[in-house]
Amino acid sequence: MLKRQLSGQSDIGPVSNTNSDGYERPFGFRGRRRPSQIPSCQKQKGFMAPLLQFYDSPCFALYHYREQDKLLEKGSKKAKTKAKKKKSSYDDEDSKEAKLTRLLKAFGEEQEIPLWGVKVFGNQKAFPPLEFPDIGSCNLLQSFLNDKLNSVVELTVDKGDIFLEGLLVNGWLSELAFLCGHVEKPVAIWAFNTMLYSSKEELQNSCSDFWCAILSSEKEVDKFPVKIDWFPEYTDLRRALDIFGFLFKFSSNDVPNNLDSDIEGPPQNIRSWIRFINSCCLIRSKKAIFTAVEAEELVEIIICLFLDRQLQGLLVLLNDCMEAIVNYFTDHEWCSSCENIAKFIASRVSKDLNCIQTIECISETSSRCKQLRSAVAYQTLFTCFDGVNSGEEILRSLAAINFKDKSCDFFKMYIHLVLIENWVLSNSLIEDNPVIYEMFCKMAKSLRMKDLEILCCIGTYHIVTVHKDSWDSQNALLLLSMRCWLKLVHDEVLAVA
Amino acid sequence: MSKASLSHTRLWILENVWAKITSIYTLQILSDTSGFMYAGIAFLDAVRASSIVPEHGKPPTSKIYAAVFHMLKTGKSLELVVGSYKLLVDLNKRFPRVYLSGMDDSRISYNSPSQLVVVKEAWSPIIECLDNATAVGEAGDKQSGGSLDPSSFHVLIEELAEILSETKFLAATIKPLRNMLLFQYLVIVFEDDFLPRNATLNWSMQRESLLSLLLGSRKINFKGLMKDCMAIICQLSQLLQSELGKHLVLQESSESKLSKNCYSALSLALLGVLKDTCASMEKLLVMIMDLDVARKKANIEGYTTRADSPRTPLIDIILDELAYHKDSVPVFLKVFSEPKWKLEIVVQYLSKYITKPSVRTRKPNDHTEDSTFVGALKCFSNKTSTKSLIKKIGADVVQFLLAHGYQAQLSILSKGNADGNIAGDKEGGVGALVDLCHTFISAFDSLRSTDEHMEILSIVKEALFTAATIISMKS
Repeated sequence: MLKRQLSGQSDIGPVSNTNSDGYERPFGFRGRRRPSQIPSCQKQKGFMAPLLQFYDSPCFALYHYREQDKLLEKGSKKAKTKAKKKKSSYDDEDSKEAKLTRLLKAFGEEQEIPLWGVKVFGNQKAFPPLEFPDIGSCNLLQSFLNDKLNSVVELTVDKGDIFLEGLLVNGWLSELAFLCGHVEKPVAIWAFNTMLYSSKEELQNSCSDFWCAILSSEKEVDKFPVKIDWFPEYTDLRRALDIFGFLFKFSSNDVPNNLDSDIEGPPQNIRSWIRFINSCCLIRSKKAIFTAVEAEELVEIIICLFLDRQLQGLLVLLNDCMEAIVNYFTDHEWCSSCENIAKFIASRVSKDLNCIQTIECISETSSRCKQLRSAVAYQTLFTCFDGVNSGEEILRSLAAINFKDKSCDFFKMYIHLVLIENWVLSNSLIEDNPVIYEMFCKMAKSLRMKDLEILCCIGTYHIVTVHKDSWDSQNALLLLSMRCWLKLVHDEVLAVA
Repeated sequence: MSKASLSHTRLWILENVWAKITSIYTLQILSDTSGFMYAGIAFLDAVRASSIVPEHGKPPTSKIYAAVFHMLKTGKSLELVVGSYKLLVDLNKRFPRVYLSGMDDSRISYNSPSQLVVVKEAWSPIIECLDNATAVGEAGDKQSGGSLDPSSFHVLIEELAEILSETKFLAATIKPLRNMLLFQYLVIVFEDDFLPRNATLNWSMQRESLLSLLLGSRKINFKGLMKDCMAIICQLSQLLQSELGKHLVLQESSESKLSKNCYSALSLALLGVLKDTCASMEKLLVMIMDLDVARKKANIEGYTTRADSPRTPLIDIILDELAYHKDSVPVFLKVFSEPKWKLEIVVQYLSKYITKPSVRTRKPNDHTEDSTFVGALKCFSNKTSTKSLIKKIGADVVQFLLAHGYQAQLSILSKGNADGNIAGDKEGGVGALVDLCHTFISAFDSLRSTDEHMEILSIVKEALFTAATIISMKS
């Protein structure tokens, strides 16, 4: 199985100009480009035409066959001759599809190669033992011991734990909390620890529901409907994450990331953890559980969680949590916190598709999220260009790159383009900066003028060299570049053009 | 170029590029390769970037909607399925099909009554013109843009019921998770369509809701569908109580085709999705029962027509199911938490079996008391009727019904109490609460005196504890 390394740029191996069978790499991947293979975009009117034309063009087919040839050659000599035959008649439009079909069949089976992904969880540590509150310290249970109904209920000091579990799982505990308007410290601590460290899913879920219920209240803005005697601190939550195996010091630059290793990954309790953070962030007006610095670290942690493919099923949960934490900050705190987060993320994440994932995991639903997205992209750009002092310099140095240069690294280009796009277009403040915005528009425009082929190149280069995937992914990457291009060509830019 | 036309152009591009790519992939069995997955993710991103992110974004075209929905229905990778689910939910929020005007703008709502706005041309995952769809038949699939027709909704429910009965395969493939997310999305669509319509209290609006049209379709067997729904919610309740995580880990060694990474991602997501599916199923059942109430009201007022073919109210089906499968009483009541309907179910269930001594000779207003929970509790003081009740449905079921009914009534009262805080009606609320607790305890005492050897269930012990605590605190 092909494994993708996550160690920065080193995974983009050297690319030879020619293949063993003498075919040139199409579209000038550090090689010479054949003029005949380029779709003639300049002649087309309307910006969609070139791409559609490209799909229909014989060069697209040719490209397919050539890539296929290489792969077939690896397989068997026989297949190679077959493919060569096909290539010779590629322009026969009627049989094109039939041939494509046959080729596709031969390579229908593909291996799963993740595009992005970092293991942010190592091995779990030993979970702390769950301690039940002493009945004596818990008024709720203690006061019932002498009730005449206890002859039926049979609550005793040593059976208090099981009874409390029952109260919780069957929903009585939250009912009582609201009716009494009070949650005692031992109960709160017990429910918190059970939520994070119990391996019984039902219990863990019930504790999570209980805490979320008592924390949330629709009516009162600055007061809890329930008096809660104990709140966890950030260190409690951080400790839990540490026990779950979270690698606080991970860096996708240096960890030998074996994505299919035997590390067990986070426990099921991680869902409750995320949900709890979400609830805590929504109640700032009543109680500020985290300091600004702690909240910064939380945003960083959530972004890291987005990088782990094991958590991709929790997308909705993570998204909600991210929005809640970003809105937790006061306006005053946010300015500096946003920059701190962006710097941290930029320093930790490798400059490959993972750094794009860190940006795309930040949804663009609120202006703060957009600002963060822009900031992360900006800081990441700085780490990409050494010795650059301003955004203008980055734009200038990027504009100076000649796409037709043999040494042009298209993968890097692609990453840079996505970063720039997010930096400029996610931030409304930048639109007020005429210098940068004009430079950006100019660049986007010139990109457009330089034809789709460039973006197509980036896309195809990407699969061929980075993922060593069979050719059918190139459609995908074409679309990926298409997406990048669609966003680049924003309304204003188009209106100018 | 104007902004609007640019937005159109962009959507047009998206639609065409996607059509091209799918045509290339569907030439072959390639639609489950990673290449197609990458394309799909990029496509979802592009849709989000062109419709949701811009302030004045246009809703996607029907073809784009259909393509995203298709991914949710058939996606082979977790990333694609979860991504398309999230996108569809977000689109639903951003571009509602039905809404009440004046809800967003507080200035309007004070003066004029809110009006229902229906965006007719909006895409829907369920075929709207159900009768026409029957005429078009199978060939209509392309025209409908991949939307589901009533019979495919029924098939989805049947599949879910089947999948959930075989727990050990839950994490072996993506299909169970995908089906559950699809179901959750459909319930969100039903909800967003039904709730504003139901708020109008106007039968002509309620009747036109997607849910009502779906259930009224001749293509589905309503009773069968509801029985499957009941089976699903009970299975989910059992699954959530069991140590599912451990079962899933054991399954790992089997001949599952998934990579380890993918497997752990699936099992991590699965438990959350099971819980949410259970909540969605409850929402669906509650909506259908609300719809039944609306129809009954319209029928009394003479607004129903022959087109509103009568069907068995869902609550009767639920009661029959619970009467037939007594084992499912505790599991069903455990997950069904909506207090109003939970109470209704408990009260109707009990009143079916409680023998009412000489109802005719009593005054008519006594009858109204029987149909409340407190009324049902008071019936326990009659030893012979309690004895026959235990004989008919068993001591355990009686205890479960009592405890859950008490919990539902408590939660209704405590919510009313919170509202009462502002109105200054606190005294009355507390009095009702304490009365309820006393009545519950005495009903339980009578129950116990009828059957001395009855084993008391833990949930009843907890209910008694709660009642005693409330009494000692509020009195």
